[in-house]
Amino acid sequence: MTQPAPLLAVRDLSIDLRTGSGKRRVLSDISFDLAPREIVGLIGASGSGKTILSRALVNWIEPPLEIASGQVEYKSSNILTVAPGPMRRLRREIAYVGGDPMGALDPTLPVGHQIVEKLRAVAPEIGAAEAGKRVVDLLDAVRIPSAKNRFHEYPSQFSGGMMQRALIVDALVSNPAFLVADNITQPLDVTVAAQVLRLLRELTERFDTAVFFVSSSLPVVSDVASRILVLEEGRIVEQQETKALVAHPKHPYTYELMSQIPKLWAEGAANVPASTSKDVVISVRDVCRSYTVRKRGTFAAYNTVRAVRNVTFDVLAGENFGVVGESGCGKSSMMRLLSRLELPDSGQVLCNGEDIAQLRGKDLLKFRRNFQLVLQDPFSSLPPRTAIGAILEEPLRTHGMRDKRELRHRALTVMDEVGLPSSLYEELPIGLSAGQRQRINVAQAMVLQPKVLIMDETLSSLDQTEQFKLLKLFDKLQAQYGLTYVFISHDLAMVRRVCNRVAVMYLGEIVEIAHNERLFFDPGHPYTRTLMSAVPTLEERRYRPEDYLLEGEPPSPIDLPPGCSFAGRCPNVMDRCLTQSPHLTDRGAHDMAACFLLDPATARSKDIAERVVA
Amino acid sequence: MFVLSFLVRRLLQGALIVFLVSLLIFTLLRVVPGDPVRLMAGGMAPEALIEQIAKDMGLRDPIVVQFGRYMSGVVQGDLGQSFVRPANGASTGGANFNDSTRGERAKVLDLILETLPMTLQLAGLAIVFALAFSFLVGIPGGLAPGRWPDRLAFYISSIFVSLPNFWLGIILALLLSVKLGWLPAIGYQGFAYTILPAIVLAVELSPVLIRTLSASMAGIMMEPFVAVGKVRGLSRSRIVFGHALRNASVPLLNLLGIQFSGLLGGVLIVEFIFDYPGLGLLTINAVLQRDFPLIQGIAIVTSAIFVFINIAVDLVATMIDPRLEY
Repeated sequence: MTQPAPLLAVRDLSIDLRTGSGKRRVLSDISFDLAPREIVGLIGASGSGKTILSRALVNWIEPPLEIASGQVEYKSSNILTVAPGPMRRLRREIAYVGGDPMGALDPTLPVGHQIVEKLRAVAPEIGAAEAGKRVVDLLDAVRIPSAKNRFHEYPSQFSGGMMQRALIVDALVSNPAFLVADNITQPLDVTVAAQVLRLLRELTERFDTAVFFVSSSLPVVSDVASRILVLEEGRIVEQQETKALVAHPKHPYTYELMSQIPKLWAEGAANVPASTSKDVVISVRDVCRSYTVRKRGTFAAYNTVRAVRNVTFDVLAGENFGVVGESGCGKSSMMRLLSRLELPDSGQVLCNGEDIAQLRGKDLLKFRRNFQLVLQDPFSSLPPRTAIGAILEEPLRTHGMRDKRELRHRALTVMDEVGLPSSLYEELPIGLSAGQRQRINVAQAMVLQPKVLIMDETLSSLDQTEQFKLLKLFDKLQAQYGLTYVFISHDLAMVRRVCNRVAVMYLGEIVEIAHNERLFFDPGHPYTRTLMSAVPTLEERRYRPEDYLLEGEPPSPIDLPPGCSFAGRCPNVMDRCLTQSPHLTDRGAHDMAACFLLDPATARSKDIAERVVA
Repeated sequence: MFVLSFLVRRLLQGALIVFLVSLLIFTLLRVVPGDPVRLMAGGMAPEALIEQIAKDMGLRDPIVVQFGRYMSGVVQGDLGQSFVRPANGASTGGANFNDSTRGERAKVLDLILETLPMTLQLAGLAIVFALAFSFLVGIPGGLAPGRWPDRLAFYISSIFVSLPNFWLGIILALLLSVKLGWLPAIGYQGFAYTILPAIVLAVELSPVLIRTLSASMAGIMMEPFVAVGKVRGLSRSRIVFGHALRNASVPLLNLLGIQFSGLLGGVLIVEFIFDYPGLGLLTINAVLQRDFPLIQGIAIVTSAIFVFINIAVDLVATMIDPRLEY
């Protein structure tokens, strides 16, 4: 697929990583072309060298990395050897957007001013006023609300999605010839990521920009790119047109990557039946939790952030219960309430019929023993200077075990159970992979032989392969000990694979609770359908983003609009939604959703709405 | 709006702090042994006269009453009168009890206002010297962690931190003033007399400033926005001076606010060595003479300066980094 005049030609590019003991090759013999206006995708597992390749394309290879051989040819000169001065002028034509939007700009200066600064650094002939106008226009074009005011706001006042839009503006403002987009959707929520991708396609078309799009998720790349390169351990093992690649992967590695993508609807999707148990382990009754934060720039005024609002649900013994939702929806506050790190303002959390807020002393310790947490970040959740054996023994000590041999025996048993070799007993957690570290976290929770494990985004930081292995481990432990799991996650594919029942949260409320199959095939709430339309997948979508994915982000939990909190982004919004707030309504078989479309009184308008959508 | 609410809130807090400091100092000075009246009236004064003077001055009232009376004066800008200093200048400590000049004792506020500008001039110049030097040494150090500019910064600050200021003062006076005759050293007859003591104070201040600046500079240079800035097409000098220095100056500013108390301590010794007619020298003499109202006045004024400088520092810091909220 070589076009007559490629915009960018990479030839035999090899890059080494200099380590204490010598050199290690991280990219070998990379060659490909990027045609004008073309969008080329790059996929590969973590550690395959994706980021290094994308940085090489913008001449951003710094020690300990070094170019071993090859060139990146742009306008018939090798940009890897261009001197810093001319390179800076070339930056006008070569743009880069990374996967860390919150860290990409100086936190102490307004966003718009920094984009103007960049534009004028690469194109000094543009006057300050003109540059400012151009930036505001573009901020408007990426649908940042009230762009004129946002121009003067600081990075900390932008949400992650908003910031990523601003950075796309920053990259495209100088009208570059090509753009390297390195994992730009990774930190974003699914609906926001889908919006950003849509925008990227629109804008690059408008500006005639070629894009090199890097991601670890094949569904995301295939959504955007017309041609895909597959990177395995620093080598391009396959490159094909997107459609051909998805239909007929040639290389076994591509095939493996594709087989790891969880199925949502297609044949081979997980079939997680409803739990047969009738025993309620946890019962959340009408729980509310708000936080007060001092209003900035006032003397004594406070804002109330309503993080969890009137949440009610039951978790049955031995089931996998999922709580899904996007960032800021109250998932983590829910976790803190469930584990009694915080007490609800009103309502109750009952555990085996007892209100956990009333527990004191010994009873509380007993509750904690049965109720363990596994957190998200495998790196900062382990003490770096404590041996793994000691980490695992600490909870046992807390709960009164003193016998040294017994402690050691328990720690080694649980290490064996989670698949950690016993040789790690004396080791420090330094140098372990994210997967290994997460196993330590699971072991630390399991060592007390709890009945309920709360997994707060436990698998989010792991790649597909590791996720798969850990899920298997969870299955095994559940079969062995009759555990109940509560998975708190933003990852619909993971939830689809493991959870019996799922609660969908939006702005602190549960908008839908349903069994796995029902949720994915017959969701009762428009927000659930929006989530389904945005989730990256190679399958044919049941819910198209064009119908369900509206622009906009969730309103702030400080100034909640009256009526239904999803009304502002809902494709089926009615007059009633703007004034009244719907309650969870039974849809049969213990499934519930909070939407007026389920109300018989509005059944007629529901028909209309469905006809519009269909 | 933010600035206004910030100032109202912080100035109220500051006033409370100054009030508590005054209370503490007032009480402490009253419970230490030694009767100031005996000191003022002279050793030969009859007991009855001393009681009489003490009563007239209100020194026999309960401490709370004395404090109330004192504070009501302070609010009106009256810090009382010195026990021992007459308005005309010479000290009267230990003079005769029927000394006629006693009636015109100097106002504490006047004494402080005479010397404070001198000390502020000294402190200001010292901070300018210290900052200029710290920037020269600390920024290259922070930009090259582990390499020679960083090590140089480390050696310089290690040496500076271990130089005692009284020793350095004497040595510098000997070298620059006596031997080379470049700078005047003793007393005050013009701006040039400030330079030498300011250098001594700057040497005392700069080690911590250098370390903080180079450490925070090195930290900021590791931030993603610095690396990304280069890829976005910003020049290195722009990144260093427009962004990194801006971010690194916040910890430096906070440190300066705290260092200010150290500066006031350093001023005592340095002014004494150089016989510089500032607040420090006044303090030393006040302490030696048990001049309670003067000590009190100086303590209140310096604590107020300290509190308000820190408020100003916090305000400037929030101007630089809007995420901060004090």
